[in-house]
Amino acid sequence: MFIMTVLFYLPMSAQTSTRAELMPLDERGKYIYYEVVEKNPVPADSLQIRANEFLTAKKLDAVKSTKDQLSASGKFLISKTAFVLTRPSGEVLYNFVFELKEGKYRFWLTDFAFIAYKRDRYANYVPATVKGVPLEKEPGKLNAAEWTSYIAAAGKQADLFATEFKQYLSVGKKTAVQPQTKPSVSTKSW
Amino acid sequence: MSAATYAQETTTSSPLQISGSADTYYKYDFSKKQNIGTSFANDQNSISLGMIDLALKKTTGKASFVGELSFGPRGQYASIPAGDAAGDGNSFHIQNLYTSYAFTDKFSMTAGYMGTFIGYEVIAPTGNYNYSTSYLFTSGPFQNAGIKANYTFSPKVALMVGLFNDWNVYSDDNGVSHFGAQLTLSPVEGWTAYLNVLTGKSAGAPGTGSIYDLTTSYQVTESVKLGLNAADYSISNDNGGYSGVALYAQNAFTTNFSLGLRGEYFKSKSDLNAATITTVPPGESVVALTLSANLKAGGLTFIPEIRFDNGSSSQFIKNNLDPTKTASQFSLAAVYAF
Repeated sequence: MFIMTVLFYLPMSAQTSTRAELMPLDERGKYIYYEVVEKNPVPADSLQIRANEFLTAKKLDAVKSTKDQLSASGKFLISKTAFVLTRPSGEVLYNFVFELKEGKYRFWLTDFAFIAYKRDRYANYVPATVKGVPLEKEPGKLNAAEWTSYIAAAGKQADLFATEFKQYLSVGKKTAVQPQTKPSVSTKSW
Repeated sequence: MSAATYAQETTTSSPLQISGSADTYYKYDFSKKQNIGTSFANDQNSISLGMIDLALKKTTGKASFVGELSFGPRGQYASIPAGDAAGDGNSFHIQNLYTSYAFTDKFSMTAGYMGTFIGYEVIAPTGNYNYSTSYLFTSGPFQNAGIKANYTFSPKVALMVGLFNDWNVYSDDNGVSHFGAQLTLSPVEGWTAYLNVLTGKSAGAPGTGSIYDLTTSYQVTESVKLGLNAADYSISNDNGGYSGVALYAQNAFTTNFSLGLRGEYFKSKSDLNAATITTVPPGESVVALTLSANLKAGGLTFIPEIRFDNGSSSQFIKNNLDPTKTASQFSLAAVYAF
């Protein structure tokens, strides 16, 4: 009964987004998460190194680096979640660009494309295809609500990514936490 | 809890994952009799049930489990091992029940009862494009219980080897009797090929059965997908088997609507002691063409389908029960995935 109750609510959890929460479009008509950071005390070469470290740590693919620019591609997992249960709906691919100029930097995520997941013969979720569908493509009214939720989820993920990225660029790699030495009690002398 | 998580992140414990499907169908055979002997969608001129399928998955660190049960005719009576439709046999069918441990990113081991690694089509309707199934699917294994090791050499090459029970049994009467292997090749993006072998002697079988199978698919463009399944199965000591090939072509006209054509050639072997495979007598063959549409609305997929089978012998029946070489049917299925 509990499972059936949860199943009833599952489809609802991913469809609560509205158009107002969606990302803006750029001049090409593509969804974009765009940010410029003006007040930045970190030197340019450190920013470049830190940005590279961040992309590597996040396991983004095809990282390309020039003097003032970094680019890479990554993906966000989109899941439907209810209470303690979840299941992946698909993944959103994106391209990431980072640029430095005169003491400030900017970055953006764009070219979002959705790949639906399907269950394979072992009940694992796997990509149904390798070719993503651009998020700008009109899904038709039958799938409009679900598609809107994917765009909103991609925007939310881009926002989280951006927050982490800016944080990393401002402080760099955190000092590795030294393993605590186990307290020891000597019983030899007393 | 966030509605989405980074794909790049590794968590030590994932939330419990629940998924599944429910399906129902209507089928009309133009001979007005049950005719085509492949799996599922068998009831004539009836709005009938498929099954409800429920799967749970949980990953903690490197360990995970999957449990998938189905309830309803497609699982309980049309899958194997089957329950007793008239009595109180098993009230559910196990689709998957296994545990897995990933020793490294490249090496994992899995043990339990698993969907078979052989073939293109599967039991769950969400895993197939067409609603009716191929002769190759019906004739091959549905599931294999066993223990297997998977090693990924590179993103383009992986290998699985394993020891398995007889086909489609929860426990084996004659010991762990089968050896199986799967070589996975992904030469270019979108193209994956599986080379499979499964061999062994089942309890009470007249000989050793060996199946060699090629299953491959290629996503040519965003909208076009091609697939192929070719298999050969032989039971030693002239006890028959089958061979066949099925081609799949699908085109998505929109994100909600696509058409797919399956063409299959299937032949039963004519060996001395060969038994009839599905409805195809020993030494005979059949060509089957199936045209399906997939119309999606959220989690729901409607599958209208028309199918024509043409046998080398009179292996089907007419309305008046006279034998005939041809059979055709229309079906409409509704499959909901969650």
